[in-house]
Amino acid sequence: MDTHDSQHAGISTARVEAGMRPAAAVTSRPGGGGQLGAWVLMAPALVVLLVMTVVPAVYLLYSSFRSESLLGGSGSFVGLQNYRDAVSDPGQRHALGITVAFVVAAVVVETVLGLLLAVPLAAQSRSNNIAVTVMLLPFAVTPVVSALITRELLNPNYGWIDYFMGLVGLPSHVEWLSNPTTAWIAVLGLDVWQWTPFVALILMAGLQSLPQDPVEAAALDGAGPWQTFRYITLPMLTPFLAIAVVLRTIQAFKTFDSFKVLTGGGPGTSTEILNLNIYRVALQSFRTGAAAAVAILFLILLTLLVPVLLRVVGRGTDPEEA
Amino acid sequence: MNQTTPGRSRHPRLIGRFLVWLWLLASMVPLLFMLTTSLKPAGVARQIPPTWFFRPTFDNYAQILTGGNGTSAGFGRLLFNSAAVTLGATALTIALALPAAYALTMRHFRARRGLSSWILSTYMFPPIVAVIPIFIYAGKLGVIDTYPVLIVPYAAFNLPIAVWILRSSIHQIPYEIQEAAMVDGASRATILRRILWPLLIPSVATAAILSAILSWNEFLFALSLTRSAAKTSPVGVQEFTGMFGTQWGALTAAGSLIVAPILVMTLVLRRRIVSGLSFGAVK
Repeated sequence: MDTHDSQHAGISTARVEAGMRPAAAVTSRPGGGGQLGAWVLMAPALVVLLVMTVVPAVYLLYSSFRSESLLGGSGSFVGLQNYRDAVSDPGQRHALGITVAFVVAAVVVETVLGLLLAVPLAAQSRSNNIAVTVMLLPFAVTPVVSALITRELLNPNYGWIDYFMGLVGLPSHVEWLSNPTTAWIAVLGLDVWQWTPFVALILMAGLQSLPQDPVEAAALDGAGPWQTFRYITLPMLTPFLAIAVVLRTIQAFKTFDSFKVLTGGGPGTSTEILNLNIYRVALQSFRTGAAAAVAILFLILLTLLVPVLLRVVGRGTDPEEA
Repeated sequence: MNQTTPGRSRHPRLIGRFLVWLWLLASMVPLLFMLTTSLKPAGVARQIPPTWFFRPTFDNYAQILTGGNGTSAGFGRLLFNSAAVTLGATALTIALALPAAYALTMRHFRARRGLSSWILSTYMFPPIVAVIPIFIYAGKLGVIDTYPVLIVPYAAFNLPIAVWILRSSIHQIPYEIQEAAMVDGASRATILRRILWPLLIPSVATAAILSAILSWNEFLFALSLTRSAAKTSPVGVQEFTGMFGTQWGALTAAGSLIVAPILVMTLVLRRRIVSGLSFGAVK
């Protein structure tokens, strides 16, 4: 059918350009075209997506039941042993725990800060326009580069951060990356620096799209700014908060670059989140079977987020559901 | 409101302003550090307190681009690899996403809802899960350290965003325009080329720039699947920090070169980048 169309495309174009009378019969509706045509158009994208997501997942599921090593040699079937190890191994439980803790902490801090920035920036003005552009800059920095720069800024001898802290009377010889607590502050701070602008811009767009009538009505009724914000603006902003929280949660679970470069999981394994743990076990210790089991558990954990993603983002953007 | 309760409404506003300026000031420090250090002569780069007045020099840039400074190749070569992979992945993303997005808007296509949801749901798929099998298979196929072994996964991971951007913008084109053209005797190919395509160019540009930024920044696959021939700049830049300390000039110059093009693209897109990354949920 497509070949048929293209053969006549030239003629049809000429007819449209010449403004001639309509074709005698409209054979198919423009949005129609049958099931087969649609599947043909979908096929390339579907094949690439399947090969890069479902096929690897199935392969990992298979290796997770085997004792496999990247160094070669034929692995053997070990049943659920890898999963038992993954669940009972304190190192991997620690990795799971700190991954969830990181995601929760990052999302909470970024949402609160994002909201605090979005409210003053939502008013349309020339200076806000400039401020928003400047605010967006950290978001545009390649994560590996921002992690490397942060590492140098935190250098105890030459770094700017200890120097500036000393200027304002704070401890000026903090060995940030040698201590688990300060290493966590560093990775969390880096994530907040990089991603708060994203949250702020989502919430800012949300605030600008809200109707002003309820706010004005509340002001006429004598509500103060805090009351108006708390009882009028915030409830109306909920869908946008939901989008920001869901997207940031998924992105935070996928964080790899900043940990790998800034702390490398250290000191010790204190910042070794699941992504780093899987990477180390599979590609540095070559125990693919063991890594596969952890990866499958990680995938299941993230799959639990899919219904929320579809509900919050999918419904918000699907014109057919409106 | 301002006239009746001036104090109550002005105070929070002033605190808000103060917070915004404090945030902007603090968040510029890393960028300021990177840019100034990259322009400093070797002697003053690591001085504390920082040297603010110096004669800017491009020595660091010249040095890393000619190579031999701790990396296996000149940094220009890595930037070229990044550009090649980025262009390839972006072209592939659009080539796959455009027909798919069109199919997903066909009213008679029964599977469109299910497929749209499935494509969106792959956004949560963690790349770490894909990287191990792809590493093993790429090794067996002998394609480790080539461009395609990065291009195809990048395109796959860019697809959910690209498909959703394009799908919703096709939806926004009134169906009646297509119908009217059909009545005038236009074929499907004519409608695509002369009616839909011109209206879609802005969204295609947004999807392409977003794909380019994500591919340019990607680290995990590049780190695992390249050695030297196809090594990209994010992998190369971290080699400037070694066990024996870091060459700040080289590191910050390389960082600035990586960041510059995407900084420009981000400023071109501005709010559309956030809209795109939120799958169009935020306008």
